[in-house]
Amino acid sequence: MIDPLIALLVAGLLAGITALLFWPERGLVIRWRRSRQISERVLAEDALKHIHEHEMKGQPATLESVAGTLHISRDQAAQLLERAEENGLVSMDAGMLHLTPDGRNAALHIIRAHRLWERYLADQTGYDEAQWHGQADRIEHSLQPADADALAASLGNPTHDPHGDPIPDATGQFVAHGGQPLTAIALDHPAQIVHIEDEPETIYAQLVALGLYPGMTVRLIEATPKRVRFWANGDEHVLAPILATNISVVPLPQTVAVAVEDDSETLADLKLGERGEVKAILPRCRGAERRRFMDLGILPGTVIAAEMISAGGDPTAYRIREALIALRSEQARMIQITRHTETAA
Amino acid sequence: MNTLNEKTANGNGGQPPMAPAGFDQQMIQLLEEDDGDQKFTINIEPLPAVSAACTTCAVHNAANLRSLGVDMAEWDFVVALAGNPNVGKSTVFNTITGLKQHTGNWPGKTVSRAEGGFEFGESRYKLVDLPGTYSLLATSMDEEIARDFILFGQPDVTIVVVDATRLERNLNLVLQVLEITDRVVVCLNLMDEARRHGLQVDARRLALDLGVPVIPTEARHKRGITELLQAVDEVATGTYEPKPHRIQGTPPVLKNAVNQLMAQLEKLAPGLPNARWVALRLLDGDQTIADALSEGRLGTLASANTSQPAGSLVAAQL
Amino acid sequence: MTTATSIPLKSPPQTRHGDDATPTPEDVLALARTLRWEIGGDFHQTLMETIYTDAARIADRAVTRSGEKQRFDLDRTIDHLVTSRRWGIPIMILMFTLVFWITITGANIPSQMLSDLLIGKIYPLLNSIAAAIGMPWWLSGILIDGMYLATAWVVAVMLPPMAIFFPLFTLLEDFGYLPRVAFNLDNIYKKSGAHGKQSLSMMMGFGCNAAGVVSTRIIDSPRERLIAILTNNFALCNGRWPTQILLATIFIGALAPIYIAGLVSALAVVGIAMLGIIISFLMSGMLSRSVLKGEVSTFSLELPPFRPPRVWQTIYTSLIDRTLYVLWRAVVFAAPAGAVIWLIANVTIQGTSVAAYMVNFLNPVGILFGLNGVILVAYIVAIPANEIVIPTILMLTVLLNGISGTGQGAGVLFQMDSAVATKGVLVAGGWTLLTAISVMLFSLLHNPCSTTLYTIYKETGSKRWTTLSALMPLALGFAVTFVVAQVWRLLSGIG
Repeated sequence: MIDPLIALLVAGLLAGITALLFWPERGLVIRWRRSRQISERVLAEDALKHIHEHEMKGQPATLESVAGTLHISRDQAAQLLERAEENGLVSMDAGMLHLTPDGRNAALHIIRAHRLWERYLADQTGYDEAQWHGQADRIEHSLQPADADALAASLGNPTHDPHGDPIPDATGQFVAHGGQPLTAIALDHPAQIVHIEDEPETIYAQLVALGLYPGMTVRLIEATPKRVRFWANGDEHVLAPILATNISVVPLPQTVAVAVEDDSETLADLKLGERGEVKAILPRCRGAERRRFMDLGILPGTVIAAEMISAGGDPTAYRIREALIALRSEQARMIQITRHTETAA
Repeated sequence: MNTLNEKTANGNGGQPPMAPAGFDQQMIQLLEEDDGDQKFTINIEPLPAVSAACTTCAVHNAANLRSLGVDMAEWDFVVALAGNPNVGKSTVFNTITGLKQHTGNWPGKTVSRAEGGFEFGESRYKLVDLPGTYSLLATSMDEEIARDFILFGQPDVTIVVVDATRLERNLNLVLQVLEITDRVVVCLNLMDEARRHGLQVDARRLALDLGVPVIPTEARHKRGITELLQAVDEVATGTYEPKPHRIQGTPPVLKNAVNQLMAQLEKLAPGLPNARWVALRLLDGDQTIADALSEGRLGTLASANTSQPAGSLVAAQL
Repeated sequence: MTTATSIPLKSPPQTRHGDDATPTPEDVLALARTLRWEIGGDFHQTLMETIYTDAARIADRAVTRSGEKQRFDLDRTIDHLVTSRRWGIPIMILMFTLVFWITITGANIPSQMLSDLLIGKIYPLLNSIAAAIGMPWWLSGILIDGMYLATAWVVAVMLPPMAIFFPLFTLLEDFGYLPRVAFNLDNIYKKSGAHGKQSLSMMMGFGCNAAGVVSTRIIDSPRERLIAILTNNFALCNGRWPTQILLATIFIGALAPIYIAGLVSALAVVGIAMLGIIISFLMSGMLSRSVLKGEVSTFSLELPPFRPPRVWQTIYTSLIDRTLYVLWRAVVFAAPAGAVIWLIANVTIQGTSVAAYMVNFLNPVGILFGLNGVILVAYIVAIPANEIVIPTILMLTVLLNGISGTGQGAGVLFQMDSAVATKGVLVAGGWTLLTAISVMLFSLLHNPCSTTLYTIYKETGSKRWTTLSALMPLALGFAVTFVVAQVWRLLSGIG
């Protein structure tokens, strides 16, 4: 019989090597496969995307801007663009880069794939905001147009990605969100967030942490070069202007009320026997879960009573339109309410 | 127009007839007329091929039903059983079919399906139990299955089982079913529980408002089942012509879009009974409906007949 | 910053037709696509608000409420009791102990009767019929000793407990109690990324893993449902309880003084079952944080009102839907397994049976994990049904060790009348306390039976998940038995 000590050691070693190789996301195999993905095609597609982005802004891209965005040398960028020009995707004009119709179609497909994937991650998966962009940046290069169409169909052909960017449809059509920077709107005028820029990641993470999402109504209180102050979602927010410009808004009619300094309570704040009227389902509740809530009858104006708490302490059962529905605390926190002062019988 | 008046009273006379009286029916139509979206509630005239004599013909789409796993070879009519979860739907199913049932899965899905049969009057009915759902907006596989069955299978009658103690929540589903098909019978179940909870539910009022038969039942005690089947039979054979309520008040943001789309749909498929619903689904980006439209599978309720291949008739319509 | 203009990047797909022209379906779809950019906002919310407003209006006109609301309170009282912090869990434990107790005690007698009938009476009868009509020995061997006996074995062991357990479970479900259990336990399951309803599918798994896998359909969130499917096998099923009880009695209970032997062996079995539950939590957590990380996750649980269950209907449908279904699947898989078992014991190559070759080949591997070749071969050929693992082990042990005086012959499954005699055979086959413990662990932690695997494949529709569901517990089982065996030897070597 094999010596048990040796057997244990050998097995431990084998387990260690296996883990090193196959560990999800950080294992050697995964890393090797990921590094292989950054091919020339990916770089070319990223360049097209970059040029398109600049065209949309009305300031054509240059060789330098391509090199800068893709983190490659000028020479590499020049080679890349030369090949793109040969393939009839890009035309060069006095140092300015322009997309040919083919190039624009290719760029739009990449953008469509990217934004669809972000929508998919937001609606149908448990990945959090910070991971969407990076994942979509990888996936956009491997989704064929047919894949993108199938994905769009399964998502209900969404028109916007979770940041508020329009998703070009299968024919390449889209309508830009048309927002202006938060800093540019009139003081004390209601406006709606239509877009939150997801790059750079650190700024985006801060905006998400503040609970700001497209669809939210805001009102600007103060905009100086030092700071931007505004109401959103019943809270006062203060941001550095550099952050605030990453939020795009469209003005709303003056009559629209923007929640100012309310108690901003959620269903989770209700004690047993208390009732509240739904004000809104927070925007960070998305996709299937949001739809499910609404199908259950959780809609603005619905009165909900907290009825029982589980023996385990967490899900709470709420009386929603006569039925008893259990919601976890993190779900209840996504439903904004105004408390009814009189308690349920 | 007044076929509703001709609905025979319930067989055993124990229950008051649930059909709305003519006056109320006219009132409803007056009320509906100020909403421009109501023009498609008019029932479709049968196609010449089917001939006017055939008012009692089955309307289900046999070809689509086959692909949904339902073989209609030995049956005259197919009846779908819809309802929210926990409303006693399976009790209703078991009470109607007795032991004449078998269970399996929906084709290609891991969702259970029960199927059974019953005879009433001179007809043999196949009863298909749909998954219990809160809604039909195809958020989950269950909802998709239920929706597809009603839309593409075009059952001769759809029974919607509702819980009398939770009417508002259950009407959500009823109203959605009524948007898709006219041929609905509402089974107002758990009347005993409602009484126990001190609730009086006025089935006649409800029938009036919904424009379809509403039959109070206590399936657990087998009460009201005969009346339910009677109503099913009348709707299936065309003795009773439902004038279903359609959801009131399209929200202003959607109104313009819905009207534009409906106008086009009306031209494309004159008399499509659920044009507004189709328009709403298209605006919601529902790919199944978009595909069905471009492939010509959105037939009218009267367009498909058991004796003829469904495709050709639908094609003739589109 | 972008501007508010519409940018048709290709030519607009369709030009608008004149008012009278009949549009094509493509025209309509193109119009819909264009209009969708205009409506924006939360379409679903707008629609649901409209429908519910209408529903509320209609419901309001039809429903009148009278003042009295007394009976309402009974439901609420029961609800508050079964979900209370103090009583919720004890009531649950009591309920399920009762269910298991009724199942175990109730199943004993019919199991014995079935066994007497199928194995005691019909089996010899079939043999004599075969002899009378002059059936060749190999044919009667495969058909009667192999296929019939294995099937009879599975039916006798499996049918009675399932015919009792499933209806009881369904009655609790019908009454409305089970959703409350899921409600009470959800917090624990949430911590491992699972759904409270997984407690119910696990409970069902204690009856039969295949039925447990099917019952995960009640979980409507895809990720949580997959977790429940992949970990259901850690619920010790009906087919494995007898193995645990037998080994605990003859090897572990025997260590203790006679008056507490029963208690000690019972604790050992419960310990194994608890280990299964703990591992199911751990693996759920690992799955939800690794392979299933990105899958969608939603929670919804309705607590329906309590309703008196319909007893006869429930018994009928649960017999048809669950018991017979599972039994049929098991029989379909057990019969060929019986044939294989008979063949490997009877087909010889140069005077040595195939079974002997397999056992000798696998023996060194088995030893590494505290098991032996016979056990591994038994687990390989008895994949279809855990019920026949012990009979197969006994048969192979007797056959290969040349033990005389017991057994029914090569390839014929049997069990012993007394535990002591069983122990005698196993010890003669080289079993020690370590072997027994290793087998108990391996019985908990190995691939699901083929019925369950087939069900998992049907439910997930994916070869990948089915493979994972087989390999994960198997790898875990080998890892655990390996470490236990080596550490055991290390310590006993020193001691």
